[in-house]
Amino acid sequence: MPDYVLQAEDVAIHYGGVKAVDGVAMTLTRGQIRGLIGPNGAGKSTVIDAITGRRRLTRGRVQLGGEDVSALNVVERRRRGLSRSFQRTSIFARMAVRRQVELASWKMGTADPAADAEDVLRELSLHTLSEATAQDLGYGEQRRLDLAIALVGKPKVLLLDEPMAGLSVKESLDLAQHLKALTSRRGVSVLLVEHDMDVVFGISDEVTVFELGRVIASGAPAAVRANPRVREAYLGSAA
Amino acid sequence: MTLPRLFLCTAAALAVGVLAASFIGSGTVLSLLTQATIYAVFALGVGLLLRQNGMVSFGHALFFGSSGYTVAILLQMQAVSAELAIVLAVLGLGALAFVVGLVIVRVPGVAFGMLTLALGQMVFLTASRVRGLTGGADGMSIEWPSVLFGLPASVLFKPATLWIVSWSALVLLTAGLAWLLRGRFGSITEAVRDNEERARFIGIRTLVPRAAVYALSASITAVAGVLAALNTGFISPESLHWSLSGVALMMVVVGGTRVLWGPALGAGVYFLAKDVLGDHAQHWMAIFGIALIVVIVFAPEGLSGLLRRLACRVLRRAPAPAAVRPAGAPRVAH
Repeated sequence: MPDYVLQAEDVAIHYGGVKAVDGVAMTLTRGQIRGLIGPNGAGKSTVIDAITGRRRLTRGRVQLGGEDVSALNVVERRRRGLSRSFQRTSIFARMAVRRQVELASWKMGTADPAADAEDVLRELSLHTLSEATAQDLGYGEQRRLDLAIALVGKPKVLLLDEPMAGLSVKESLDLAQHLKALTSRRGVSVLLVEHDMDVVFGISDEVTVFELGRVIASGAPAAVRANPRVREAYLGSAA
Repeated sequence: MTLPRLFLCTAAALAVGVLAASFIGSGTVLSLLTQATIYAVFALGVGLLLRQNGMVSFGHALFFGSSGYTVAILLQMQAVSAELAIVLAVLGLGALAFVVGLVIVRVPGVAFGMLTLALGQMVFLTASRVRGLTGGADGMSIEWPSVLFGLPASVLFKPATLWIVSWSALVLLTAGLAWLLRGRFGSITEAVRDNEERARFIGIRTLVPRAAVYALSASITAVAGVLAALNTGFISPESLHWSLSGVALMMVVVGGTRVLWGPALGAGVYFLAKDVLGDHAQHWMAIFGIALIVVIVFAPEGLSGLLRRLACRVLRRAPAPAAVRPAGAPRVAH
């Protein structure tokens, strides 16, 4: 049995009679990138919310490095190495770039937060803006800052909710390549929700497809791309 | 600000206070300066809450008046020495504010302001009605001992000494806050203020830092209350009234909170307006109100923010946010 960093079993989030997510199971091994795709409202972001503790599970459990973290709150899960970014840019608007990245690293118990922050800022090409106030950055820079906050402190698992949203094609591809290199070098496993299919199929080791709160396909990118049900439900003939 | 620079600025500001006491011969002027400085400390406390928590309090007079009452009652009961009474008032109110803060800082926005107003008015009404303990609406005199912190009363209660004590308290509290907020505590509270949900997702428990800022702000306001009690030797329910909280808030808005000394500047402007305009206009508060509107509309960062911008322009460098992007630095990755 592989050594899973993250294991979600039979995860369900119900709102009254509405099953936003139902019976979802997925795993991540060390350094693996798993893309989550599906139409809007399929439950991708809800799964990320469930795994990080932002939403309470109706059923199922989440294990991080073999430990059941289902009952823990977001702060405790983060301290155990579960990190995330948000669909909308979520940074500390009035703080300087370096100050907030260093803080995030320090909260993860890094021995040298300053060096860790410098490392990540340099890798995301934000080091020249380290003393800038976050609200004065351009949109693309703010997205990278969002990613930097999530990446510092060497988390075990990184859950990224549409990190390329609003970026130009070039910015998306650049960020995707950086993401691939960074996560590989840092040994971080990634769950990536993204609508840019070039990015998802370009950098993911495995792809999971959602429809109406359930997983309809999962596997290697090529196999998923060729799956008739996936093509019918989401990718269409252009895939 | 680097630590050596902070130390130098603090030493210079303390020296200015001593020099001012030597050069200003008029006891009336020194008394006015002392009063303005005490309110500057009060505004520093209210401003800290707005700056670090993004919260507006309409009830901070609660801590201003309560510290005076605490000292007065303890001295009347002859329960402890005056020095210990002062320490107990400041730390006790800080501890009480922390406990209360654990409940009320959970409430966002206007509702928080209303809660502070309700708490403040509760204590105001209590102090007005418990005649046996507080003297009711008439207030009570504070029986200071003949020697306090090693200083004879004849020296301590001179206008020049009271001015130096008040000014030194303002300078040391501002410097202490500057030192504290440049570290992790400052980073954590800024992060919680800017984006509480994201702060939780980087592993910060957000309730305790918010309550800690509320407690710190309350303690600073309590120091102002003790200074006022030293200055007047008298305490009455007026010092607990919400209108006093409103005055402190006006000082904060006029001065701004972008820099730590902003609220103190606001207090200075308020007293200047009160004493200059008050001599010529009966309704000087209305004129100050217009000035307040002008500041809010045209300089939302307050006078300190405006001065900072002007200083940057004079020094031929852009303000901090614009200056940090080096020429040619990429906006787009690679």
